[in-house]
Amino acid sequence: MNGPTVAARPTRPRPGARTWVIVGVLITYTVFAGRQVGFDISTFWNVWSNPLWEKFWPVPWDWVLDWHNVLDPLLETFQIAVVATLVGCGLALPLAFIMSPLTSPNRPTMIVSRSVMNVVRAVPDLFWAKLLVTAVGIGAFAGSWALSVFSLAVMVKLFSETVDGADPRPLEAARATGGRHLPVIRTGVLPTVLPEYVAYGLYVFELNIRASVVLGLVGAGGIGRVIEAQRQYFRFDRVLGILLLVFVVVIVIEQVSVAVRKRLV
Amino acid sequence: MATGPTTGTDGRPAAPTGTARRRLAMGALLVLAVGWSITGLEVTVDRLLGAPGDAWDIFRRMFPPAFAEAAERGVVGKVFESVHIAWIGTLIGALASLPLAFLAAGNVAPAWVRVPVRQLFNVIRAVPELILAMILIPITGLGPWAGALAIGVHSIGTLGKWATEAIEGIDEGPLEAVAATGGRWASSMRWGVLPQILPVVTSQWLFRFEINVRASAVLGMIGAGGVGSELVSQLVFRNFPAVGAVLLMTIVVVLAIDTVSAAVRRRIIRGAGRAPGDVVGGDRNAAVLVDLTGIGR
Amino acid sequence: MIRFSDVSVTYRGGVRALRNVDLRIDDGEFVVIVGLSGAGKSTLLRALNGLVPATSGSITIDGTEVVGAQSAELRAIRSRIGMIFQTFNLVNRTSVLNNVLMGRLASVPAWRSTIGLWPATDTEIAMQALERVGIVEKAYVRAADLSGGQQQRVGIARALAQEPSVMLADEPVAALDPVTSRQVMGDLRRINRELGITTLVNLHFLDLAREFGRRLVGLRDGEVVFDGDIADVTDETFRDIYGRAITDDDLLAVDDEPTG
Repeated sequence: MNGPTVAARPTRPRPGARTWVIVGVLITYTVFAGRQVGFDISTFWNVWSNPLWEKFWPVPWDWVLDWHNVLDPLLETFQIAVVATLVGCGLALPLAFIMSPLTSPNRPTMIVSRSVMNVVRAVPDLFWAKLLVTAVGIGAFAGSWALSVFSLAVMVKLFSETVDGADPRPLEAARATGGRHLPVIRTGVLPTVLPEYVAYGLYVFELNIRASVVLGLVGAGGIGRVIEAQRQYFRFDRVLGILLLVFVVVIVIEQVSVAVRKRLV
Repeated sequence: MATGPTTGTDGRPAAPTGTARRRLAMGALLVLAVGWSITGLEVTVDRLLGAPGDAWDIFRRMFPPAFAEAAERGVVGKVFESVHIAWIGTLIGALASLPLAFLAAGNVAPAWVRVPVRQLFNVIRAVPELILAMILIPITGLGPWAGALAIGVHSIGTLGKWATEAIEGIDEGPLEAVAATGGRWASSMRWGVLPQILPVVTSQWLFRFEINVRASAVLGMIGAGGVGSELVSQLVFRNFPAVGAVLLMTIVVVLAIDTVSAAVRRRIIRGAGRAPGDVVGGDRNAAVLVDLTGIGR
Repeated sequence: MIRFSDVSVTYRGGVRALRNVDLRIDDGEFVVIVGLSGAGKSTLLRALNGLVPATSGSITIDGTEVVGAQSAELRAIRSRIGMIFQTFNLVNRTSVLNNVLMGRLASVPAWRSTIGLWPATDTEIAMQALERVGIVEKAYVRAADLSGGQQQRVGIARALAQEPSVMLADEPVAALDPVTSRQVMGDLRRINRELGITTLVNLHFLDLAREFGRRLVGLRDGEVVFDGDIADVTDETFRDIYGRAITDDDLLAVDDEPTG
């Protein structure tokens, strides 16, 4: 490449019209949305000097650590999470198989199940909770149902990707033996995906612990109910105490879950 | 931990017993946990049997959905308000989290900076948007701004964590090259890291936006703007056809956004995947998806 | 002039990569460094621009001490040393020109380089560097869309854009095919002759070393075991440096090929 003539320098390419249009649309929308939302830049510095912060401190630990007030509802939250995880993940297992092209019994079933799950996932989880609370009444029962639906949605989303990506060869081998559909899945796919299933299950459990806190805010039982009640009495100091406690519990559960997951993989 | 198979009396290896016992123990533990949980939840058989029926009953009463009534009351506008809230919130979260992620990544930031920033992300992620909004409302007042801020702040945690992971997965060669030319740390970030992570990070932002649309709908339930307030008020009046209308409109908008966003994300990742040897990582995306549906509330 | 005085580099974990290295390299020399993998070739180059800190000893470039130099000083030193890498280390997703401009990072204000508003003089330098390696027509092409040889040329252009007094090449052709390898080595030699830039090249292939080198430094277990004119090098020399007989893996091309 040591030719005597040097090649001409190219001119700088300009970004195409399409790029400008896209950028323009995004910026316009952002400005519009900002106005609609009431974007208020002064909040960023005002928020620190708001006198309301005083209401958060000091935390009445004697009240917070009391069994009836907080610890019992927290236990209920835990129980809701356990049940919801089991129900949700339990149902998700067969559902994921039905939804996956590799393992689905037939095409229409697959399409229907996928569409239904898409719709279910499109509904915000707390909407489910509120609906169920209206339907079956306030309390942990509604909470577990709502959270089960949520767990099902999450687990199906995660797990079906695993099933979709599973090694098809053992499945092929199982099919070749001429077995019926269920045993074929049991031997051809299940062992491959089981570790991830359990790992995701543990993960969903973690999520549910956090979620059930929030669920309570709509009356679906657990610690959320306590938080909402205290908030309505403007007892932010208690709210902060509860939140800190919950935070600690969540971290502990997370660490345990991570440790268990590591031992599984 | 497991030693080789021991030989039984007939010369065949004996089946390992350790794993079976462990499985049994875990299974028993599981059954115990479930049993205790169920009893703790006042689940009685008749409630259990009655529940699906009650739920179905309500579901039935939502049809036909009262669209006209809903349109009159501006429910459509409310649904879009949820989208605006999610957009602004995601934008806030994205712009704030990216610089922080550079400070949190193991391969580019020193430990004394990295650890606090990562902990900051964890703490923020641990607080659900709903709680954040509850705290913010007394300060900013009711309305969509509280919602946007709550979503924005919470997103900093999740987006920050994902961006950090993206940064830690890069090819460090270009970083070395920038250092070798005498460039500063910031230039290394701008030229060595940013081009490699931009597609993945942008795709993460879009994904977060999808989740945040749902979150902002929920935030409306406590008055932080958006369609949630509509749902609550109609439920209180037990006006189920109106509830049905609200639900349906929400579902349609959410699905539309999901679909468009997924398509855009696919294009971004595919476009980025053109270069050989890129770490765009389908597996990394799977890991990201795990977080998506969860803590993003 | 570059001088290594009793330089040792010990990595964390106890690996002694360089032991008591003494070297003197005059301006404008073209030095080829050979040795087995792990003999310390990479460490030698990286100690020179401070990417790897020397554990003891002194390294000076035109009188400036590299060992122990801190941030701003170190960056100033590095800006005068261009480096090219075995894996090219280009920013794949951006244009060739942007990659070359990265050579100007040390002399352009931070805000300008961050938003990509490079001054005209620096763009001119970058363009000239591209012209010197003969791929200016690819200036706006995405770096990843080029072939291996072209990418390494971009790497060379990037180093040239620094207007360096020293050029370091860490196994620059290890990832390239024989023909392209010769072209790139030819480019390095030409640049050394035309611009008088002191050049240090790590090479894995002994026939390339013989063909293009003028002075040969042989490293073995972190020590300099040979330092002399390429004309004085025999197969025996290589055997000493490697501590074993030469195999075909150590040669780029077994058959004779026309030099580029």
